[in-house]
Amino acid sequence: MTSDSFLDVAGAEKSFGGVTVLGGVDLEVAAGEFISLLGPSGCGKTTLLRIVAGLLAADRGTIRLDGEEIGARPPHRRDVGVVFQNYALFPHLTVAENIAFGLKARKHPAGEIGPTVRRFLSLVRLTDFADRSVRALSGGQQQRVAVARALAVKPKLLLLDEPFSALDRKLRENMQIELRRLLRELGITAVFVTHDQDEALTMSDRIAVMNRGAIEQLAEPATIYRSPATAFVLEFVGLSSRLNGTVVGQDHDHVIVDTAFGPLRAAGSFVTGAPVVLAVRPERIKVNTGGDYALVARLRDAVFQGSKVQLHFEAKDGDHLMVETADLSDGLPPPGTEMRLSWAVADTLIYPAS
Amino acid sequence: MTVLERLSQYVVWAIAGFTVVFLMTPLIVTVAVSFGSSTVFTLPPPDWSLRWYERLANMRGLLPALVVSLQIAAVSTAIAMVLGTLCAIALVRGRFPGRETISTFLVSPLMLPGLVIGIAMLQGFKAMGLRDVYGSLLVAHVVITLPYVVRTVVGALSLFDFSLIDAARTLGCSYPAALTRVLVPALAPAFLTSGMFAFLASMDNYPISIFFTDAWTKTLPIQMLQYVEERPDPTIAAISACLVLLAIVALVIGDRLVGLRKLADF
Amino acid sequence: MTTKGAASPWRDPVALLAVPAVLYLLVVYAFPLLWLFMKSLTGPTGLTVQPYVSFLSDPFNWRIVGNTLRVAGWVTLVCFLIGYPAAFALARAGALLQIVMLVSIILPLSIGAVVKAFAWQIVLRRDGVVAQLLVGVGIWDEPQRLLFTETGLVLGAANIFLPFMILPIYSVVKLINPRLSEAGATLGATPLYRFTHVTLPLTLPGVVSGVAFVFSMSVSMFVIPSLLIGDRFQTLSTLMGRSFLLMRNEQLGSTTAVILLVLAVSIVVGSTWLARRLGGSAT
Repeated sequence: MTSDSFLDVAGAEKSFGGVTVLGGVDLEVAAGEFISLLGPSGCGKTTLLRIVAGLLAADRGTIRLDGEEIGARPPHRRDVGVVFQNYALFPHLTVAENIAFGLKARKHPAGEIGPTVRRFLSLVRLTDFADRSVRALSGGQQQRVAVARALAVKPKLLLLDEPFSALDRKLRENMQIELRRLLRELGITAVFVTHDQDEALTMSDRIAVMNRGAIEQLAEPATIYRSPATAFVLEFVGLSSRLNGTVVGQDHDHVIVDTAFGPLRAAGSFVTGAPVVLAVRPERIKVNTGGDYALVARLRDAVFQGSKVQLHFEAKDGDHLMVETADLSDGLPPPGTEMRLSWAVADTLIYPAS
Repeated sequence: MTVLERLSQYVVWAIAGFTVVFLMTPLIVTVAVSFGSSTVFTLPPPDWSLRWYERLANMRGLLPALVVSLQIAAVSTAIAMVLGTLCAIALVRGRFPGRETISTFLVSPLMLPGLVIGIAMLQGFKAMGLRDVYGSLLVAHVVITLPYVVRTVVGALSLFDFSLIDAARTLGCSYPAALTRVLVPALAPAFLTSGMFAFLASMDNYPISIFFTDAWTKTLPIQMLQYVEERPDPTIAAISACLVLLAIVALVIGDRLVGLRKLADF
Repeated sequence: MTTKGAASPWRDPVALLAVPAVLYLLVVYAFPLLWLFMKSLTGPTGLTVQPYVSFLSDPFNWRIVGNTLRVAGWVTLVCFLIGYPAAFALARAGALLQIVMLVSIILPLSIGAVVKAFAWQIVLRRDGVVAQLLVGVGIWDEPQRLLFTETGLVLGAANIFLPFMILPIYSVVKLINPRLSEAGATLGATPLYRFTHVTLPLTLPGVVSGVAFVFSMSVSMFVIPSLLIGDRFQTLSTLMGRSFLLMRNEQLGSTTAVILLVLAVSIVVGSTWLARRLGGSAT
C-alpha cells in the first residue's frame, strides 16, 4: 500500500497549549480514493484536515502528496483544495468571480479563466447564476459554488470539512450523491471530515474512525459496520444491542459469557473472569423464530419507522436490547409482550469492558 | 384585532411623524433662513435670495478657519485610522486579558465631558512642553477621532469570517496577498464610513478645540461661535447649510457603503 | 511534546498591535486627566481637599450644581418621553418610514452642536417656529420669547440629544421577538400587563444606556447653554469654561472640572453596571 499511496501522512502530532489533539496519526490514501474522517467533535479530525491543507503546522510528522514532501509548504503551494464548513465564499464577489478567484491567484492566463469557470459552473449546474452575488444563493447553491471554486484550480487533493452540516436532511442526501458522482467523474482524491455516520457510510471508499486524536479503525464502510474493531467504533457507527457480562468459560475458540439474560457465546479469547461487552447489530436479531440460541425479553416500546420497526426491550442498567425488523405482519405488539430473540453466534461481537 | 392593529399603525405613524419633524426642525430652519432675504431670521422668509452665500466669500477669518479645520480633521483622521485599525485587530484577534478594558478606554473620550478633556489636555500639553497651537490641535483631535475608528472597525472585524483568509490561501494566495484580496475589500466600507464620521466629529468639535485656538489659528466651529456672539445674521445659517450639505453627502456615501441600519447601530 | 505559543496569554504577539493606540491615549489623554485630578488636590502646602470644601460650602455653587442637575434631569425626561415611543415606532415602521426616521436621527448626529444651537436660537425667538405654533394651536394668546429661558434650553438640548436616547433603545427593541407579546396575550395578559411585565423589562438595558448618554451629555454641555440661555444662568460646565477662558481662575476651574469628571465617570460606570445586571448587551 505504501508504494502506491497518493497521500501519505505519517506520525502527525499536534498539541495546543499542552493538550494533545493529534497523537501520531498515520493515514494513507490511494489516488482517486474518497476517505472519510469520522468522529465526534474534538477527536482531531478537523485538526488533521487543517494540517494537510497547511493551515496549521504539525508539531511532528511528515505529509507526502503525489511523491512530494509538502509538510513545510505554505497552503498556497500545496495543490490542495478545501471546501470549508461554512463554505467561506467571498461575499464581495459574484459566483463566477468566486470560482475564478483561485485561477487568478495562481496567475492562469486570462484567456483560460473564462472557459474554465464556465465549465465548472455547468458541472455544478449554476450557469444561470454566474453573475449573482453569493449572498443571494441558497445553502445548497452556496455549497456547489464552494465545491466548484475548490476544484477549478485542479488540485491534486480535495479536502471537505463537514460540507453538508448546514443543509437540511433531504437536500443533504441529494447533494451527497451529486458530489460523489462529480468527484468520481473528475477522478479526484478526497478526504472528507464528518461527524455524521450515515454520511460517511454512504459516500466513502474507506472510513477512518477517529477518537481522541487517533484513528481507531480504517476500513471499508461494510467492514466498519459489520466488524467494528473497538467498542468506540461500535458505539459511534450504527445502533447495537449491548449486554454487559463476565467470561465464565472457554469452548474451543469461543468464550461463554454470563449476562443478565443467561449464558451467551461469542467468538474470541478472553481469560475467565474478564468483564466484557457483548453486542449485536439490531437487524441481525430475529424475533420469535429459531436461531443459535435465544433469550426471552419483555417489550418496552415499539417505534414505527416506515420501512422498519424498532423494538426496545426491558433490560438492566447499562444493558441495551433493541431489534430492528421489517417483518411485523401482525402490527405493533403492545408493551409488556414477552418475545423470543435469537441471533447467530457469528453475529455476536465481543469487546473488553472499558 | 384588526381594528387594534390599524390603530397601532396610526399611532406608529403619528409618533414617527412627530419625531421626524422635531429632529429635522433645526436643520430645515437653518437652511430656510440661509436662503431668505430677511436679516432678522423671519420665517417663512419674505423673499428668497442668495445674498448670505455671496457674503461668505468676504467673511473675515472664515476661509482660514475652514482650512485649519479641514487640515486638522484630515490629518487627525488619517492618524486615527492607522492607530485604530491596528488596535482593532489586536482587540478582535488577540487572546490576551484586559481586552474589554482597553476597548472601553479607547472609546471613553466619547463619553467624558469634552470641556474637561480639553482643560486636562491644555494643562498636560503645557507640562509636556507642547505649545504649538497647530500641533496641540492635531494631537488633541486624534483623541476625538480614534474612538470612531476603533468602534466601527472592531464591529466590522468581529463580523468578518476569518475562514475566508484560509480559503484564499488554499486557492493560491500567500498570507499577505490573502489579506489584501479578501480582508481589505471586506473592511473597506467600514473603514471609509468610520473615517468619514471621525472627520465630521473633528470638523464639528468645539469643547476641546476652544482651549487650543488663539487669535491667529481658529477652527471653524470656534470662528462660527464668535460670529454668533458678535453679530448674528443669516450668514452663519449659510455656513451651517454648507455643513448640513457635507453631512448629507457623508450620509449618502455611508448608506451606499454599509447601509443606513448599520450606521444606526449603537 | 513541546508546548509553544498559546501557553501564556500575555505572549500573544497580536496584542502588540494595540500598543501604539493605547500608549498614545495614555500619554495625551489619560495622563492629563490624572494630572488635572492630582493638581486639584494639591495646595501650596501639599495634599489638600480645601478647594472642594470651600467650593461646596458656598451656597452659590450649590445653586449651580442644582441648575446643572435640574436641567439635565428635565432634558433626560423629555428625551425619554419622546425617544421611547419613537424607538418602537422606528422598529415597527414600514421600510420607507423607517428610512425617513433613520435619516432624521443620523443626519443631526453628524452636524456640530454650534450649528444646531444656532438654529434653536432662531426657532425659540418671539417670532420663531415654536411661538407661532403655540399661538396657532391656541395654547398661547400672544407670542412669547423662549430663547434665554430654562424651558427653551431644555427644549433645544432635548432636541440635540434625542438621537442618543432613541438609538440605544431601538437597538434593544429591534431584538425583541413580537411573538413574546403574543405569547403573553395567549396566556391571558392584558395589553398593559404585557407591556409592564414583558416589553418594559426587555427594553430596560437600552433605556439605561440611553438615559446615561443623555444625562451625562446634558450635565457637561457647554455650547448649548451659552447660546440658548446666556451667561446669567450658570451650570457646572459653563462655570468651568468661564473660569478658565474668561476669569483665568485655574483653581476654581480644576475643581469644577474634577467634579464634572467624577459625575460623568460615575454615570458611565453606574449605567454599565446596571445594564449588565439587567442582562442586556447595550453599550
